[in-house]
Amino acid sequence: MSRDGVAVRLEGVELCYRLAKQRIPSLKEYAIHWMKGSLAYEKLWALRDVSFTVEVGDSLGIVGRNGAGKSTLLKVISRVLQPTRGNAKIYGSVAPILELGAGFDAELTGEENIYLNALLLGHTRREVDARREEIVAFSGLGDFIRTPIRNYSSGMVARLGFSVAMAWIPDILVLDEVLTVGDEQFVRQCERRMEEFLAQGATIVLVTHDVDAVRKVCRRALWLDEGRIRAEGPADDIVDRYLEFSGSA
Amino acid sequence: MGNERAMSQLFRYRDLVWALVARDLKVRYRRSTIGFLWTMLQPLLTMLVLTIVFSALFRFKLEHYPVYALAGIMFWNFFSQSITASMNSLKGNASLVSKLPVPKAVFPLATVIAGVINLLLALVPLFVILLVTGQPIRPAVLFLPVPILLAALFTLGAGLALSPLAVLFYDTIEMVEVLLTMLMYLTPIFYPMTIVPEHYRWIVRFNPMRSVLEIFRDPIYFGKIPPITHLTVATVVTVIALLVGVVAFRRSSARIPFYV
Repeated sequence: MSRDGVAVRLEGVELCYRLAKQRIPSLKEYAIHWMKGSLAYEKLWALRDVSFTVEVGDSLGIVGRNGAGKSTLLKVISRVLQPTRGNAKIYGSVAPILELGAGFDAELTGEENIYLNALLLGHTRREVDARREEIVAFSGLGDFIRTPIRNYSSGMVARLGFSVAMAWIPDILVLDEVLTVGDEQFVRQCERRMEEFLAQGATIVLVTHDVDAVRKVCRRALWLDEGRIRAEGPADDIVDRYLEFSGSA
Repeated sequence: MGNERAMSQLFRYRDLVWALVARDLKVRYRRSTIGFLWTMLQPLLTMLVLTIVFSALFRFKLEHYPVYALAGIMFWNFFSQSITASMNSLKGNASLVSKLPVPKAVFPLATVIAGVINLLLALVPLFVILLVTGQPIRPAVLFLPVPILLAALFTLGAGLALSPLAVLFYDTIEMVEVLLTMLMYLTPIFYPMTIVPEHYRWIVRFNPMRSVLEIFRDPIYFGKIPPITHLTVATVVTVIALLVGVVAFRRSSARIPFYV
């Protein structure tokens, strides 16, 4: 599905959150303001003129301060948000883990959640049947898989979420600051799996404040600041520059 | 995203749609026997009350009134419950669609499918009533899949148009409920057209719900295939509702992840 070996291509992407000046949460108020022509919005640009390309099989780490637009950028890459302006071309299937436990039902057991979550990611029941045991084994949750996940710790939820999302090799794997919850052993297990993905030609985009993980997993990195790209290049260089800047600030 | 892309996306997520349908039905029939009985009992009780009120108090002559009313109530319950449930379903999953690239239409779609299954189950006691009251069941009931399909698509259109609004504005659901009540009285569900005074009849005639209801009730109550005029109007109304729904949904649902 990729074009000329490109997995992600963003051209002049801008993304604006329209915050209503006075909050208009009801239809009645909206209608009144609309008739009076007094709908005013404060525009908050989360992304400004963002252009970059990720090649197939590459791994990109995104670093930056809180509120720099990292998560918003991942949502654009995951096809959750449409850019206000500019062009975002995402080629192939995307497996996003933007938030731990997104799409989990606390009342369902781990096993039932495997199905629910995989279906939400666009897999079929048959595909899940074929991988179920593999997913349970990867998660290392053992007998807990048959208990409702409201009894799980956040680490266990993370294990389950990763095990589902990483059971199939996607064209693009998108991770948002979620690797940090698992224990040492599980994180290593995930890193190994990601290396396998990369070896098989998958693309990885990763946001994390754990700069060591960026150095380890990513070949390239992108430094985002106030919605703009501050720097882009080999992961080690970018992380060094980012750390230097953060240290001095 | 083009229309074909959206359709193929929905097809890819078909197993998710069925899982959502199954969950919806499971919740509905949770306390299995009581839940199932209630779905049957609720329209029956309403029918009983209406029969007493309308044939004893208001006195209009309509043969086999219980069947007339019950068919109407079943249709209306399907329509209004599916719309409210569509709105709640998208609202309940709004935070999810801001974290996963799930096609948002799966939620209203699954709700309407669950509603259709529920309607089919409710046909069972309806036929029992037909037998009990001595109203013959004619072969025309085999035509029912057509009106049920049209009613489902009409309802889907309305659900698609309204459900994103329920996420963006908290008061949408209560306002829609008021509108639905008004619309219910404007639809000849429990009264025949003949009791509407001549010079007000046009209001009921122009009600888009009416023909969709009549083609559902004709095979059951009159035991005949609905006239071509009603069928045509119902089809046109359904196509319009579906088109409006799809366009409105695609425009407003893209905004949902921004507001959650």
